[in-house]
Amino acid sequence: MRDLEIRTRDDKTDYRPSEEVAGEISWQTDAAPHDAELRLFWHTAGKGTRDVEVVESISFESPARQDRRPFRFTLPDAPYSFSGKLVSLIWSLELVLSSGETERLDIVISPTRNEIALQGV
Amino acid sequence: MKARNNPFRTDRVLAVRYRLCDETLNDLLERLQKMGFRGAIIGPNGTGKTTLLEDLEPALCALGFRIKKLRLDDEKRSFAKVFIKDFFADLTAQDFILFDGAEQMTTIDWQLFKFKSKKAGGMLITAYRKGLLPTLKECETSPELLQEIISDLLGGASSESSSSTTELFHRHRGNIRVALREMYDVYAGKPI
Repeated sequence: MRDLEIRTRDDKTDYRPSEEVAGEISWQTDAAPHDAELRLFWHTAGKGTRDVEVVESISFESPARQDRRPFRFTLPDAPYSFSGKLVSLIWSLELVLSSGETERLDIVISPTRNEIALQGV
Repeated sequence: MKARNNPFRTDRVLAVRYRLCDETLNDLLERLQKMGFRGAIIGPNGTGKTTLLEDLEPALCALGFRIKKLRLDDEKRSFAKVFIKDFFADLTAQDFILFDGAEQMTTIDWQLFKFKSKKAGGMLITAYRKGLLPTLKECETSPELLQEIISDLLGGASSESSSSTTELFHRHRGNIRVALREMYDVYAGKPI
């Protein structure tokens, strides 16, 4: 059975730079994972090579088969979330269990809380 | 269309694995074993040689081999002497060399490389042409294969006609990778 979830406070997914993102992760698996980690990262998607950078991560000690943990990150100042025709920059939270199971939640970081639209790129 | 929503974006295209028609990966592995674990995957650009090489890696690991990967391409056509010296220094029969782009080597460098690699438990290479090692598999593409991949990337709802896919296929001389890049551009121009 696989049941992983990332929930942000008030189900919010759009943030300003330097803002705090907090919430709760939960999972229910067949066996207790050895490790559980929540990563805050950005990656690019589009026509070219995919770039990725993990900005911060939290490791949760002694994870149980069925578990629930709070989390809190302070978001960085940059880069902003953006999209053009050739490339998008996407911020995500990703829960990774040692069993290989993952769950991802995309978020937006920008001064307007909206993904920045690149014109002509 | 935003890049993040483009069905032909790089991460989706890279997730497309090699499609064997009339045999399985196990069939290929058995044949490779009978060839003394020395073989070549042959084919023109964009026909899936690298993908097939990647797909065979887990199975070779499962056989107990330790994988050592090498890659040459148009941008990097040779290895530094120091690198090659170190590479062969600790090579054992447990090692299996996966060498992508072996045709980039000069004839003399290749002969030397092949001789030194005898210490390894096996070696599988990709190359445009035959003759470097016995051929394990010749990669081929077809308009039907391109149509199938496009359809899968579009979630089974391809709006491309068979004739336009055939034209796309021939225009890029069977290079599926380049054809899918063109599809990216087509979809990038579509409204969100």
